[in-house]
Amino acid sequence: MNNRLKVERAILDITQEELAKKIGVSRQTINSIEKNRYIPSTVLALKLSMVFKKNVNEFFDLEENEMPII
Amino acid sequence: MESFLDCERKDINKLKKYQLPNQAKNIGWLILCVAFIPLFFTTKDTSSKLIAKYSILIGLLIISISKEKIEDELIKSLRMQSFTFAFIFAVFITITNPLFSYLANFVFAEQQEIFSGIGDWIILWMLLSVQVFYFERLKKMHQ
Repeated sequence: MNNRLKVERAILDITQEELAKKIGVSRQTINSIEKNRYIPSTVLALKLSMVFKKNVNEFFDLEENEMPII
Repeated sequence: MESFLDCERKDINKLKKYQLPNQAKNIGWLILCVAFIPLFFTTKDTSSKLIAKYSILIGLLIISISKEKIEDELIKSLRMQSFTFAFIFAVFITITNPLFSYLANFVFAEQQEIFSGIGDWIILWMLLSVQVFYFERLKKMHQ
């Protein structure tokens, strides 16, 4: 899964620490999500969506091999 | 009326609150360090050695089930990974150890020994120490 967390964070001009505090996780969790080492839960994704004021799929999207068969 | 499954689900959910506060981790490390002292200074298998051995397990268990400063979903996931790894590792070693000790006896001591099991303390020590070590390693990997 790809993400644009770093870009969205830059738009809001907040550090990893500040974003972590806003959504109640550790800085390591934000760092791991940004580096694609950890995929957050739906709850965390929705919290991020509220902070960025954007839909979840605007900063998280699936890779080619993860796409569902429609 | 609550179904049997609902009751069971509630009971299982109660078990989820097994974790100790973060401060308990320091107590665990203290117990662990103190418990190691008799192992170095007592030569014979005395009762103090036995108490020390069980104190090591209690110390490791306290460290293992203590919360982190920020217990978020990443930490929970890493904790689960470390428990899984430690469980598989301990089972694997427990199963393979008698075979290796049998082969070692057969090759080096040139005598056939009956298969002997691995002690329960060793299994628990291995399970807990591997979990604690692997969890710390996973945390470092996500720094």
